[in-house]
Amino acid sequence: MQMFRNTCPRNCYGTCSMLSYTENGKLIKVAGDPMHGFTQGHLCAKGYAYTQYVYNPLRLKYPMMQTKRGSGNWVRISWEEAYRIIAEKIIELYDRYGSNLASGYNKFSGNLGLLHYAVEGMFNSIGPHTKSFGNLCLATGEQAVKESFGNLHSPVPEEMAQSKMIFIWGANPAVTNIHQMKFIYKAKKNGGKLVVIDPIYTETASKADLYIQIKPGTDALLALGIAKCLLGLDQIEKTAAEWNGWKDYQQVLKRLNLATVAEKTGVSIETIQELAALYGEIKPVTTWNGLGIQRNKYGGVSIQAINSLAALSGNLHIANGGVYFTHSNYEDFPMNLLNFPEKKHASIKSSRMINCANFAMEAKNLQDPPLKLLWIASRSPLSQDMNINVWQELFKELELIVTVDLFMTNTAKHSDIVLPAASHFEEEDLNVGYWHHWLSINQKAIPSFYETKSDLMIARELTKKLNMLRPGFSTFPYELEPKDWIELELNEKVQALYGLKSYTSLVDGPKPRLANQKKNKHFSFIQVDDVKTMLHSLLLETKGEPSPYPFRLLSPQTLLKIHSQFALISWLNPKPDETVIEINNKVAESLGINDGEKVKIHNENGAIIAKACKNQHLPHGVVLVSQTGENSINQLIGSQLQKQEELSSTHFYDCFVSIKSLKHP
Amino acid sequence: MSKQLGFLFNADHCIGCTACEIACRNENHTNRNVRWRKVSKSSEGFLSLSCNHCNSPECSRVCPENAFMKRHDGIVLIDSNLCTGCRLCITACPYEAPQFDYETNKVSKCQMCYPRQDQGLLPACVDACSTEALQLVDLENFYDPQAVSSIFGIPDIRITQPSIVFYPISEKKRHFLVERSSN
Repeated sequence: MQMFRNTCPRNCYGTCSMLSYTENGKLIKVAGDPMHGFTQGHLCAKGYAYTQYVYNPLRLKYPMMQTKRGSGNWVRISWEEAYRIIAEKIIELYDRYGSNLASGYNKFSGNLGLLHYAVEGMFNSIGPHTKSFGNLCLATGEQAVKESFGNLHSPVPEEMAQSKMIFIWGANPAVTNIHQMKFIYKAKKNGGKLVVIDPIYTETASKADLYIQIKPGTDALLALGIAKCLLGLDQIEKTAAEWNGWKDYQQVLKRLNLATVAEKTGVSIETIQELAALYGEIKPVTTWNGLGIQRNKYGGVSIQAINSLAALSGNLHIANGGVYFTHSNYEDFPMNLLNFPEKKHASIKSSRMINCANFAMEAKNLQDPPLKLLWIASRSPLSQDMNINVWQELFKELELIVTVDLFMTNTAKHSDIVLPAASHFEEEDLNVGYWHHWLSINQKAIPSFYETKSDLMIARELTKKLNMLRPGFSTFPYELEPKDWIELELNEKVQALYGLKSYTSLVDGPKPRLANQKKNKHFSFIQVDDVKTMLHSLLLETKGEPSPYPFRLLSPQTLLKIHSQFALISWLNPKPDETVIEINNKVAESLGINDGEKVKIHNENGAIIAKACKNQHLPHGVVLVSQTGENSINQLIGSQLQKQEELSSTHFYDCFVSIKSLKHP
Repeated sequence: MSKQLGFLFNADHCIGCTACEIACRNENHTNRNVRWRKVSKSSEGFLSLSCNHCNSPECSRVCPENAFMKRHDGIVLIDSNLCTGCRLCITACPYEAPQFDYETNKVSKCQMCYPRQDQGLLPACVDACSTEALQLVDLENFYDPQAVSSIFGIPDIRITQPSIVFYPISEKKRHFLVERSSN
């Protein structure tokens, strides 16, 4: 039996280092890596199911092409044929339009390994093209954290174990970040308390010493309300006056009406005062800004209001206090593939950038030249994006759609060519997380599954083919091996940061970032205008006609999938993927809906059928819907992105629906 | 000195993540419908149960082939070579521990990872539990006044005396929204 070190590359807080055991080139078992200080030798259920993932009979084995898109009439083709068709098309489009702007990609977080930026590197190597930018998931929060602190940072999660009070706003680590729970329990064992603020009575909420149910989208108001009470109690940070916007912030708090806060948030004045006492009297308090609070239009304000509360209460710069969100440690790395220099073009200065949060709409409207070739890797937009209707319209305009994936996803089904991707056990990579501060390696543990290839191998071979057909078309250094790219990432600065001597240090085990967070004492309180706009908008919401779509739709992650990934793994999901809608008991009864019944969920964007499930703890105005690959609830989620919000993520939770029993026509 | 290996399940700590259940599959490669360990959720909380390696195992008592044995450390094992697939044990066990394998036409069940334990390792489920909700203890040498012999969702323990003890869920404070009227 041989052992290798791998790293789970999923878009997850864990970025778990794992040990894989092989026999005769076959993966037979996986285990957590005891040398990883955050996971401490554990994996999640999805991680333990990887043997079934790798050898899944539904995995894509060969490159395939379907003769009429969407027909399901797939024909196996060779890699050589796939490369020739794609390369010829890229070159033909170049000749037609005089540049590569008609060719573009849409790629996101299906695999976050650094070598997967080979897709970006490959496109950069052919000169100006059309590319997606931004972050669907956390851009809103990232901007807000930067407004508050000047940079995106998040403390070392292991330190949460020493906190005396942990406030979680809109995160559900018991489902999405299970390794964090042991540090929370350790804090509880040492006398610390866990407070969870969430509209949903989540698995994490059920473990909290104190759970506060809040109306969705009103976190900013609650944070301001607590801060107002703190100010009244005079339990505030001594140096608060030195920070930006202190006077205005004080004014905002003084003018704030607690009765309004209680009404809008659904949290009583007594509870707000109880929370203020906890924030004020106990130290250190840890605050965690969950991704959930930034999935609505008040997300940025909410995070800044919560940061301001943490600052005011004097917990910002003390040991084991601080505010958690996500960090950007990847910025320490040169990111040679992502930043691969764009090949110069005689007249076009740079690529066309499309915000991924509004990709389909913007891509469809492109002119001179229109977008004609789309390369999709590491994601399934037809399941996970908003504006799925617009995606379908965009597809009609495209002359060639290439999707690289491990499974026949909803997006792959609507592509012309599907290229089978390697799992992380079949490739080499380097992984840095966004929650914990560890760096780990991913070794090639087993040979490729049938004809699967990594994004890097595909980039190397396709650019080579392009240059064969048209010498000098691409500048990609296809002779470089994965190890070369990894070593390029481990430059002197990174070696010093992680105490590494070379590549082999990581083969011996994952390494923590030695230098502590960029501790700067800079802080900016939430701005008056932002609060005013939010208050104005919140007060308007209660006026006017009742909405035809009375329920706010929340669609958070579920335990045994990451979005639509893992849906086909029977150990985890033995039953076929089914969309489930949770509805408050009383609401369901008033609509004549029983448990297990099929209901129609609809709004201006479309309609889908889902199975009803009563949930006695759901707010009356909220429904909770699971994410699935097929029959995706995202079909009902349109983009409300305004121009001025260019750097925000998608406000998936600003979606309103109506529900109807199918029994009564 | 006698020994009775058993599980200590902390219902207050279990987050229902099912890592234990899937780690069992990762270790033992059980066939599709065979679930040696099962995590369930009720309104009261989560439970993670496998064979409880009972003090008086009903499975063993009813088996016409005498396929069951109890080791000195208390682990109850089934010898699949002797099993004829009659499934009497399945009807007798209150905990759904014996599982019928439709691919082999035999019964199999949790063996508390004795091959791992014989190498000084913990059972895969216990090893996988990141919150220490599931632990391995020698019940002959275990005493904690806070531990209880049964909690919600556990069938009558008097029949078989299962080798599992529990920490119950503690009281917690909740402020749910007060809704004015339903929609």
